[in-house]
Amino acid sequence: MEFTLTNFIFYGFALMTIASALVVVTVRNIVHAAFSLMVTLFGVAGLYVFLQADFLAATQVIVYVGGILVLILFGVMMTSGRLEMRIHIERGQLLLGGLISLMLLMLLLTVIANTPAWKNLTDDGTELPPTTERIGELILNGPFLLPFEVVSVLLLVALIGAALISRKEVRDE
Amino acid sequence: MTLQHYLVISAILFTLGIFAVLTRRNAISILMGIELILNSCNLNFAAFSRFMTPPEDISGQIIAIFGIVLAAAEAAVFLAIILAIYREFGSIRPNEVDTLKG
Amino acid sequence: MVIPLISLILLCPLAAFAIFGLLGLAKRSFPRQDYLSTAAMLIALVCSLLLLQEVVPDPEPHTVKWLSLGSVTFSMGFYLDSVTAIMLIVVTLVSSLVHIFSMGYMHGDPRYPRFFAFLSLFSFSMLFLVVSDNLLGIYIGWELVGLCSYLLIGFWFEKDSAANACKKAFLTTRVGDVGMFIGMMMLFTKFDTLSLYGETGIFSLAAAQLNTADMVWLSVAGVLIFCGAVGKSAQVPLHTWLPDAMEGPTPVSALIHAATMVAAGVYLTARMFPILTETSSLVIAYVGGITALVAATIAIVRFDIKRVLAYSTVSQLGYMMLGIGAGSYVAGLFHLTTHAFFKALLFLGSGSVIHAFHAMHGHGHDDDHGHDDDHGHEHEHGDHDAHGHDHGEDHDSEHVLGSEIPPDQDMRNMGGLRHKMPITFITMLIATLSISGVPFVFSGFWSKDAILGGVLGRAMEWNSVHHYLLFGMALFAAGLTAFYMFRLIFMTFFGEPRNQEMHNMAHESPKSMTVPLLILAALSFPVVNTLWFNADYVKPPEQAHLHAPEHAYVSPDSKVGEAGLTFSLFGISEAVAAEEGGQDTHGAHGDDGHHGHGPAHTIAMVLSIIVAGLGILLSWLFYHRRTLSAESVANSFRPIYNLFWHKYYFDEFYDGVLVALTVWKARLFAQFDGTIVDGIVNGVGKGTRDILAVFVGVFDNRIVDGLVNRVAEVTWSIGGRVRRIQTGAIQTYLFVVLAGIVLLILIFRAL
Repeated sequence: MEFTLTNFIFYGFALMTIASALVVVTVRNIVHAAFSLMVTLFGVAGLYVFLQADFLAATQVIVYVGGILVLILFGVMMTSGRLEMRIHIERGQLLLGGLISLMLLMLLLTVIANTPAWKNLTDDGTELPPTTERIGELILNGPFLLPFEVVSVLLLVALIGAALISRKEVRDE
Repeated sequence: MTLQHYLVISAILFTLGIFAVLTRRNAISILMGIELILNSCNLNFAAFSRFMTPPEDISGQIIAIFGIVLAAAEAAVFLAIILAIYREFGSIRPNEVDTLKG
Repeated sequence: MVIPLISLILLCPLAAFAIFGLLGLAKRSFPRQDYLSTAAMLIALVCSLLLLQEVVPDPEPHTVKWLSLGSVTFSMGFYLDSVTAIMLIVVTLVSSLVHIFSMGYMHGDPRYPRFFAFLSLFSFSMLFLVVSDNLLGIYIGWELVGLCSYLLIGFWFEKDSAANACKKAFLTTRVGDVGMFIGMMMLFTKFDTLSLYGETGIFSLAAAQLNTADMVWLSVAGVLIFCGAVGKSAQVPLHTWLPDAMEGPTPVSALIHAATMVAAGVYLTARMFPILTETSSLVIAYVGGITALVAATIAIVRFDIKRVLAYSTVSQLGYMMLGIGAGSYVAGLFHLTTHAFFKALLFLGSGSVIHAFHAMHGHGHDDDHGHDDDHGHEHEHGDHDAHGHDHGEDHDSEHVLGSEIPPDQDMRNMGGLRHKMPITFITMLIATLSISGVPFVFSGFWSKDAILGGVLGRAMEWNSVHHYLLFGMALFAAGLTAFYMFRLIFMTFFGEPRNQEMHNMAHESPKSMTVPLLILAALSFPVVNTLWFNADYVKPPEQAHLHAPEHAYVSPDSKVGEAGLTFSLFGISEAVAAEEGGQDTHGAHGDDGHHGHGPAHTIAMVLSIIVAGLGILLSWLFYHRRTLSAESVANSFRPIYNLFWHKYYFDEFYDGVLVALTVWKARLFAQFDGTIVDGIVNGVGKGTRDILAVFVGVFDNRIVDGLVNRVAEVTWSIGGRVRRIQTGAIQTYLFVVLAGIVLLILIFRAL
């Protein structure tokens, strides 16, 4: 595998993603974890770009970084006092969780390595047309119209439900 | 870049997410772990769409978009639940929320 | 017809009582319990009269098996012979009249319905006693009448004297009943039955089985059973309860303590007549004779009108016992009958007098103006009580002991009542003439003469000193009887009123009280003699001991008790006697004819007339003409007078010796109980607790409890461990799920 700029950037993104994810799961301070998660999300967005999914990358940045992450930070602020910022970790749990995760990782890696259909599929580097127009066609005027509507209803329901659950006073009827 | 590169990255993200969910003693950290898992899934969708289908077919990306939407909804509901739990128990440590303990 | 009639006789009073009792449970009472009880008794009376025709000469008992204990069967049943029939009439008649009398006498009493209910219960018990064919039934009735006597003596239980009297009566009669029970058991061990009649009854068995050797046994049993009669019929030495029983209402005294219950002892003795031996007969005769004499002597110094009558009753009961003991079965029962009527009359008459004085001793009599006010008397309760006491004190103050005489019963407060209460006076005079033995036209003369004649006849026949002595005692008692009875009459009805206030208050009693008096007065004339001296009707039973060889010479089958003996002595055939007795429509004259034949009876009759006349004469001199002074005589015979006044010191003896001895004994036993018995019990308890209980406790704690606890602990710990699977922490669940997934994948890959 020759060392090109593309490769360098790809590995950079991959490393950034994995390293920051590692920070997310290990760091004690929850605010640090949240910001580390932002880096991870940006890294994933970069990987999307490498997969020539430009719309998806944009959505990832807008929705995740602009929405979900802010939501998470709100949650951190509302639920944790200053002393609660530190995440308590128990040693036995850490060990068991690590073991299981490691086994899971090993399994996944062996599956990935041993699945014949997935071998030797190289990105040939051909430029593809921007996906936004086609995605719009597929969603609003194609086979994905119904799932789109369903998901929109789901999102609405989730937002109403979230507002209802997190409301401070639940008046008894 | 081969498919396996993406798959490996995705697997690592997934494992880290699982690890966070299993070990962290804070509900919001767990939510972060879940987000990692969801991201790994979306990455997988996008990667399989790129490598396993003809270039014109981008339904994998659309599924990934749906996944992002679901993640947003899930995060909203999750945080609402966390707020409710916090009001109820005064804590969001999952091991302290054990009403179902036998 | 016998069974239904007897059942009806028994059930009517019982039903009257049961209605009271059942309503009492519901805290109600029948509105007219008096009518109910009286109606029940009247029905019983009618049935009793009907039963007279059903009597057969040699009846079989009507028996059912009642109770089987192992090989022994107790039966319950009725026995109806002429004696039963006559007793039934006496009881129901007197009871009915007393019921009617009580309607007036007890009017206004707060426990008026209860009184009638008790009367009904008593009547039932007495009738049951009378008709029973076996000793067990008699014993049951016996104790029931004792109970009723207790309840009715203590009817005014607010009064201490009444409460004490009823206890005394109950306990004293119990003393005799113990003897009776032992006697019954002796008979039972001998004969394995308590039935009296029939082929398997005691009498048949006694006649068939007994030989000379068993005479002692039979004598002892007879005397022991007689002990019951001594208690019940108030014979010396257990007579002391009867005078105290006068604390009860006067109708009760008339019914229970004069006419019926106390006569039950005589009845029992008469029933046992067939198994009385020569020895036991003599004991009975002596007890009866002594009682007659002792009670009569006590009676002549009493001032309480009811006590005089009570001692008179004791004395007359002694007469009856004497008659039966001397072998004059018919005479004894005959006297029982006549005595029941004239003594009930005397008591009811005294009740009428007491009612007239209307004294206030807190019995609730004060309320019954409704009946009395038609006489227009003003009742001034306030003073006469105190007045009566004053009067009593200045008369004989040093002799008024603890026995306080209620002013309305004190004869020293009476006098001159014959104008105020003519009906009461006339009827009581008739009864007095009857009991005193005024010849020929009064029933008492005939019955008393029958006893005297019987005793003298036995004395002459056996040439027995005992019986001559007994005859003398009886004769003397007869004179005393006439004396004290006329003393009562003179003090009460003649002379000047000694207590003007009470005299002014006195008045004739209402009709409900005078009518029974009149009926009883009619019965004091010799109307029942026909029954008793009809030889076909009343057959004295044969005595078992007379079958024993050495007694075979005595002719036992006398048709008319004492008369038969004299007949056989003089060779006059029994057939003639029976004919005369049976065919003569006028029983009294026919009877008179009998007696004329025997010298014993002639002598007895003449003597009794003489002593009765003497008694009446002395009484007249002492208490009416006052030519002789009772006080001066009393002073010249002070020791004897004191003896009489203190009732021979029986009560003092019992209090001083028996009661003290009992108390001392009780203390001793209490000490024995407290130290030795309690010590043993406590020691055993302590030992058990300290030694055995420790072992048992250890066993319990270690083994039994340990086993149980171990099972529980094991279950608990397993549960605790299993429980931890459910931690409630979602991360654990997730961990398990993932571990499962990994495991599954590994497994599938390995396959």
